[in-house]
Amino acid sequence: MSTSIMDIQNLQAKIGDKAILKGLNLQLEPGKVHAIMGPNGAGKSTLSKALVGHYDVEITGGDIVYKGKSIKEMEPEERALEGIFLSFQHPVEIPGVNNAYFLRTALNAKRKHEGKEELNAAEFLRLMRDHLEMLGMKSDMISRSLNEGFSGGEKKRNEILQMLILEPEVIILDEIDSGLDIDALRAVSEGINKMKDGKRSFLVITHYSRILDYIEPDYIHVLKDGKIIKTAGPELVAELEENGYDAIEEA
Amino acid sequence: MKLSNLKDLQTKALAAALNVKGREVLVERLAELGLPSKKSEAYRYFDAESLFAKEYKTLSYLPKTIDEGEKIVIVDGVVASAPKGLRIYYEACEQIDLEHFDPMYYLGHLLSPHVIKIEIDGDVELDIEHHFTQSDALISYRIVLYNQSNRHATLYEDFVAEDIENTLVLYGYDMHIARDSTLNVVKLQTMQDKQYNMIASNRVNVAKQANVMLKSFDLGGDQGLQMLKVDLDERAHVEAGHLLYLNEESKRGIVSQIIHKGEYSTSKQEAKNILDGHARGIFDALIRVEHSAKYTKAEQNSKAILLNEKAYMVAKPQLEIYIDELEASHGATTGQLDEKQLFYLQSRGISYVEARKMLVIAFANTLIETVKDSRHQERIKEAFESVFYTNH
Ligand SMILES: Nc1ncnc2c1ncn2[C@@H]1O[C@H](COP(=O)(O)OP(=O)(O)OP(=O)(O)O)[C@@H](O)[C@H]1O
Ligand SMILES: [Mg+2]
Repeated sequence: MSTSIMDIQNLQAKIGDKAILKGLNLQLEPGKVHAIMGPNGAGKSTLSKALVGHYDVEITGGDIVYKGKSIKEMEPEERALEGIFLSFQHPVEIPGVNNAYFLRTALNAKRKHEGKEELNAAEFLRLMRDHLEMLGMKSDMISRSLNEGFSGGEKKRNEILQMLILEPEVIILDEIDSGLDIDALRAVSEGINKMKDGKRSFLVITHYSRILDYIEPDYIHVLKDGKIIKTAGPELVAELEENGYDAIEEA
Repeated sequence: MKLSNLKDLQTKALAAALNVKGREVLVERLAELGLPSKKSEAYRYFDAESLFAKEYKTLSYLPKTIDEGEKIVIVDGVVASAPKGLRIYYEACEQIDLEHFDPMYYLGHLLSPHVIKIEIDGDVELDIEHHFTQSDALISYRIVLYNQSNRHATLYEDFVAEDIENTLVLYGYDMHIARDSTLNVVKLQTMQDKQYNMIASNRVNVAKQANVMLKSFDLGGDQGLQMLKVDLDERAHVEAGHLLYLNEESKRGIVSQIIHKGEYSTSKQEAKNILDGHARGIFDALIRVEHSAKYTKAEQNSKAILLNEKAYMVAKPQLEIYIDELEASHGATTGQLDEKQLFYLQSRGISYVEARKMLVIAFANTLIETVKDSRHQERIKEAFESVFYTNH
């Protein structure tokens, strides 16, 4: 489909010697929210890692086409600069790297890539202020080391903060909702909804319907055993919650 | 003078060669331990012999009038200036440790019949700047430092080499940390371009309930070894932190013994080592807990990152324990940068090269940030980055 922003074609990938993705097809449409649900170990995180070029994942077949170009061979930082963003299921802690400095370095790398002027520290902090408030993040969280000692919820908010700052075009959220309390879930969802602009496309990996109530997906895809086995509208969520994944048959 | 001429000499010949009269005990200790060679326990990983094989010119250490200045400035082993009112003078050293493991401690004392004695008064901050201005010279001097009970002082130590080459510096401290006091010592030393090599031999005696913080930031190339012996009395505490960032053919590091003598004494020693080029880092550190030191806590750790496959880290943390009633831990790791962390940064659009730099600096910063004074912390960060960036 030429209308898709990202076209994942018959993707096969392995981690170590183990085949995980086994011919996965998925088209992300501009402006749409795609939710992926599926059992533990089905390959959801592996898919998200494959899209951003993670070193764990070796692509053995198929292709990932982003804005008409294959990105299979692209370095992770190039993919990021071109607008692909992954919020990690388990964001890593980096002691000694100041969060604000990291965020500004990332933003300035992107701005430079786009031929824009870099922001200095003061301009950057001004930009941050509103985001922090919306996400309910204390300002000391950006003066601390990146994710170091952050609670699970704080790490997820920090991922969303990065998304808001970098303004990517394809946003992959791997279990952004796991471990969040009700307020955090609302704040994070608000952040996501704020990014919806009719062009950006979202890939939301989740086990729960609650976040989907907030961010209203357009499509639900079921990923099982390395493939998308079913795609439907939001009504599928209720059915999955009722009957589980075993009841889904490959279309 | 050629130090290798002192090799294998017995007491009498050694005294004659060094032209010392009296001080037999020190000569005996030096003869017993022997001039450092590859066979010496403490110098096994450091090529002292090649430094000792060179011919150096000897300097005279005639005291000069001490100018008034903000810092203590010591030029080629002679005090040039000091802050007003500071008690600083030349004296024979009264308290020499007869149980030091380092032969160079004794050689240093034998070469310096008069030491620079500094008595720190009250809660002060002192800067000491060591200047080296002579090429092909053996610069040898020692400092004896006393502080006062119940006082909290900080010493910042820096090194400035003028346009020199091939000099060997032997120096070191005898520090006497008074009861219930705190002394904080922060040493920043960039060595480069074969200007000078150094062996620093220190002895730190920590009295009851006193605290000493010893932080060293050793950057750049060349050969340098820091020998350190710390004796801890009852409830005394030492916190030692060592950052190494080495490049080229450098061999540098620390050989230390922390000796718990008193009950409830505590020690924490942490080394962070970043090795580039063909450099070799040394962390050869022993913690000994004696019979008398029940309820001791000792913690020791070394982490090394190798940035080049030719770089090498010697990490030998050792515990020697004579009692059961204690808490002790030690460990050492050597590896590359964490690939998960690297990937995280890259996935945000930061280039591989830039991400690597950020992680190296971060690794160093975790130690640099233990220096609480923000001006000095910033200064050390800048020194680190300037050495690091000339290589990356
Ligand atoms: N680094 C790795 N080494 C070995 N096997 C791995 C590795 N990472 C993932 N796997 C395996 O790949 C399979 C798919 O894992 P993946 O993380 O993609 O599942 P998931 O669908 O995201 O599951 P969950 O819902 O539990 O997050 C699992 O069997 C997992 O054990
Ligand atoms: Mg997962």
